Amino acid sequence: MNDFLPQLMRVAEARQETADVRTLRLEPVEPDRELRWRAGQFGLFSVFGAGECALTIANPPTRGGGLECTFRRVGRVTDGLDRVSAGEVVGFRGPYGNSFPVEDWLGRDLVFVGGGIGMAAVAAPLRLVLDRREDFGEVVVLNGARTAADLVFAGEADAWRRRGVRVVRTVDPGGERPGWDGEVGLIPDVFERLALPPDGRMVVVCGPPVMLGSMLRALDRLGYSPERVVTTLENRMKCGFGECGHCNVGPFVVCRDGPVISAAQLRRLPPDL
Amino acid sequence: MDGWRVSDEQLEGWLVSLLDGTRRVVAPVAEDGLTLFREVTSADEIRLATRHPRTRLPAKETLLPATEVLFSYRLEAGGVALEVPPQPSDQVVIGLRPCDAAGTARLDEVLLADSHYADRRRRTALVTVACTSAGPACFCTAVGGSPGGTEAADLQVVPLQGSWLVRPLTDQGTTLVAGSAEGWPEASDEDWMAAEGQRRAVEATITTEPIPSEWVRGLAERFDAPAWQALAERCLGCGLCAYVCPSCACFDISDAGGALCGSRCRTWDSCGFRQFTVHAGGYNPRPSHLARHRQRVLHKFAWFPLEHGALMCVGCGRCVELCPAGIDIRQSVVRVMSG
Repeated sequence: MNDFLPQLMRVAEARQETADVRTLRLEPVEPDRELRWRAGQFGLFSVFGAGECALTIANPPTRGGGLECTFRRVGRVTDGLDRVSAGEVVGFRGPYGNSFPVEDWLGRDLVFVGGGIGMAAVAAPLRLVLDRREDFGEVVVLNGARTAADLVFAGEADAWRRRGVRVVRTVDPGGERPGWDGEVGLIPDVFERLALPPDGRMVVVCGPPVMLGSMLRALDRLGYSPERVVTTLENRMKCGFGECGHCNVGPFVVCRDGPVISAAQLRRLPPDL
Repeated sequence: MDGWRVSDEQLEGWLVSLLDGTRRVVAPVAEDGLTLFREVTSADEIRLATRHPRTRLPAKETLLPATEVLFSYRLEAGGVALEVPPQPSDQVVIGLRPCDAAGTARLDEVLLADSHYADRRRRTALVTVACTSAGPACFCTAVGGSPGGTEAADLQVVPLQGSWLVRPLTDQGTTLVAGSAEGWPEASDEDWMAAEGQRRAVEATITTEPIPSEWVRGLAERFDAPAWQALAERCLGCGLCAYVCPSCACFDISDAGGALCGSRCRTWDSCGFRQFTVHAGGYNPRPSHLARHRQRVLHKFAWFPLEHGALMCVGCGRCVELCPAGIDIRQSVVRVMSG
């Protein structure tokens, strides 16, 4: 037995989401190996020879057909994952970490905010909520990116709308394309313009560190209780289960105690992230 | 009956019996002017007595090698074949100082979560030697240890007045002496009292003030103390402190090889390296020496003890002695608390 030994997974499908974002759907090479995970958990995905990297599992466990990761090509391992084709074999360890408290959201209004590749972390709970749409109240999705061409899962927006979701898309100034009918502006500013009353509303917000910081400050200013704002921490990780020391933030070990964390918990951590 | 008082010859006879080929034996040996832990094949290589200098490096490699293969991979028709290395053999590590054995107990807190470490740990017995003197950088008593400490030891050997007290502390320790102890004279109450007196005498030579337990919370609350800046300014980021530390457990995982075949390896890592926390996209939550030195100190003296109770420093003094920039982790703790 060896906890570092990955499960072998065959690439069942590869989808190009944007110029540098890709989704892989993976199925176990040994078909009797059952995969179970919860929305928000992550895994260590590996390309043999390139190494492993931690990625969120982007699809909810409710849909079957293996697990998906959606990633931006940004380093050695994601470069390797970007090159594999359907039928090839990659490695997976996990699932690791905690998950979104979806059962606490029943009957509530929800907002999902994803900045750039942060949409990959928002995807599993959002899709889970869509699969159980009648269990939740109003659902708003705010998806932002630098340019219109960088919006991740833009092709799914119509399907989300058909499920009664208000989808708001925004790009940084200058990132519009001809005929752009979405918003222009930074995510916190656009969110503020939406003027959603905080009343009991749950907010899931994932994105790069700078965007996350300004979004959390905006939510605080708008009167959202930090207990009802959740995010995920995306620290560098190696082992995935609390040993290797890379992802520690004060007493919080992101891979073991997170990656899902409320804004209230985040406030109690030292500013070391 | 606590144990026995044996002569040099009896002790050597026991060491010879351990070298019967049924286990790997690791002990301090003299090499290139240093004392180092090495696998030994004969008892006369072993430098057990504490008149020999403390080993330059702790025995950490016996449980967490600086580099080890977790598994190897090979591309095959239609897939990938993975192969795990063979199970580790039984081993006994002889001659650890109490601080180094305590360091192993800290490693256990972190690393027993993975079966790879746990397998090796289960097959390892630790034989400690009580210290009969303290080195210039020793400060075990300041961090909860003792020159006569027995934490994590399966069997303790105490050098006493030209002979040796041998005391098993676990079943594994009892098994180690099972064949040899018949015929050994029992140690008397006076012998154990003399050992106690010796321990207290060594403790009295260690001058570092004990770190008060309330400093654990105190340090956690001083994350923003101005003192961190000056303390970290000298740090070169070389990572030596982590590499000589018996309790530092952080590691990296990387692939050595190509797409056709190779190995996935675990290697020691250090929170002192800039690369330790840098995200793939370039963002680094700990971009400065200040942030990294603070993490090292707070992990050992605040975050780890908050979770596990004990400090993640055992007072061996190696990082103090060997830091090329002269950084003394004790001073970092004291200055942050007094600044």
